[in-house]
Amino acid sequence: MQDNRNIYTPIRARLTDVIEESPSIKTFVVVPEDKFSFKTGQFIELSVDGVGEAPFTPSSSPLITEKLEVTVMKTGYVTEYMHMLKPGVLMGIRGPYGRGYPVEAFFGKEVLILGGGCGLAPIRSLLYTLESIKDKLVKVILCYGSKTPADCIYKPLFDRLNSIEKFEAYRTVDKADEDWDGSVGVATTLLNKIKINIKNSVAVVCGPPIMMKFGTIRLLEMGYKDDQIYLSMEKNMSCGLGKCGHCMMGEFFVCRDGPVFTYDEIKHNPEIWK
Amino acid sequence: MKITIEDLKNVRFFDDYTDDQLKIFIGISSIKEFKVKDVLFEQYDELKEIYILLSGCLSLGISIAKEKRIRLGTLEDGQLFSWSAVFSPYISTAWVMATCPTKVLAIDAKKLTHEFEKNCEFGFKTMSKIAQTISHRLSDTRFQLMNQLTL
Repeated sequence: MQDNRNIYTPIRARLTDVIEESPSIKTFVVVPEDKFSFKTGQFIELSVDGVGEAPFTPSSSPLITEKLEVTVMKTGYVTEYMHMLKPGVLMGIRGPYGRGYPVEAFFGKEVLILGGGCGLAPIRSLLYTLESIKDKLVKVILCYGSKTPADCIYKPLFDRLNSIEKFEAYRTVDKADEDWDGSVGVATTLLNKIKINIKNSVAVVCGPPIMMKFGTIRLLEMGYKDDQIYLSMEKNMSCGLGKCGHCMMGEFFVCRDGPVFTYDEIKHNPEIWK
Repeated sequence: MKITIEDLKNVRFFDDYTDDQLKIFIGISSIKEFKVKDVLFEQYDELKEIYILLSGCLSLGISIAKEKRIRLGTLEDGQLFSWSAVFSPYISTAWVMATCPTKVLAIDAKKLTHEFEKNCEFGFKTMSKIAQTISHRLSDTRFQLMNQLTL
């Protein structure tokens, strides 16, 4: 039977909790009223009635389907409004959209994840997924950088990951305060710390465009091949359907063909770091 | 404190050196230990040794005025620093300070460059590694600069 639903119509989801992650980042816990599931790395459109919608990659585990967590950085009109919302209001979600992480391709390998800033949101979802299949992986290393200690999101995540067999997690800050006794420097400096068998490894990069550019260059210098590096082109997502054209990147629609690409697939596009 | 080939094999910097090449390092190096807040060298100091961090914690930064230190980063185990010791004018571009009890391998820079002249393969390999260290430091600094410019 033909489905006549408007593809832009969201399903209702109730906001049940708001977690403050940093001065400019909050996590919204929403409970969809209809059945909803996603694969790690896929994204959704989260909307506020009368205000607008924006694309986000859920930060929660795809294995948990009764609720969804979406981590939102305050950057514009819609996200500023979202940051004022209190639990209890109804929001809208549509999706999931795009191509997520091909986790089956990670089986038998070491997974290096390089993240920065709010890029840890989609990475957290990936980490939950990798944790659930850790028996099939050699190891997982997370290297994460934030601007300051206060800007670091999901702080308890790092101790938790370090307590899981096969997982290692490191973090650094660009600018330390007096209480910070960890690493100082950009995210790529953490790559001096890790031991990894590059030939049997894949790397995942997610974060601000500058971090993704310098991170990818360093991974290539380390010996990673173009098709071993997975980039999550979060910034370029728009309507979710590849209809509006805002997500066009060369021959690809990021909403439809991504947001996860190998560097090999998109390296020829001069605009990938914009 | 005596250094052995096995000690050096555990240090990332020496990953692809042969035993004979490691013996060269052993002949011109010593281990130095530093306490918390010990300054290994100041910005603009003349440097005579190249260091490799064996264990501990080191901060690296620049000074914009006397008593005003800006920390730019930390160093990780196995990382080389004080590379200015092998390049004229042999003047440090940053200060380095211990933030916990720290052990470093100190390589005599004059003797090292003398070994480069005697053994070109050893010299090329080591200078390539030093160049890579500088390249990474430059790339990280550009990354840091871009972060600041786009705030």
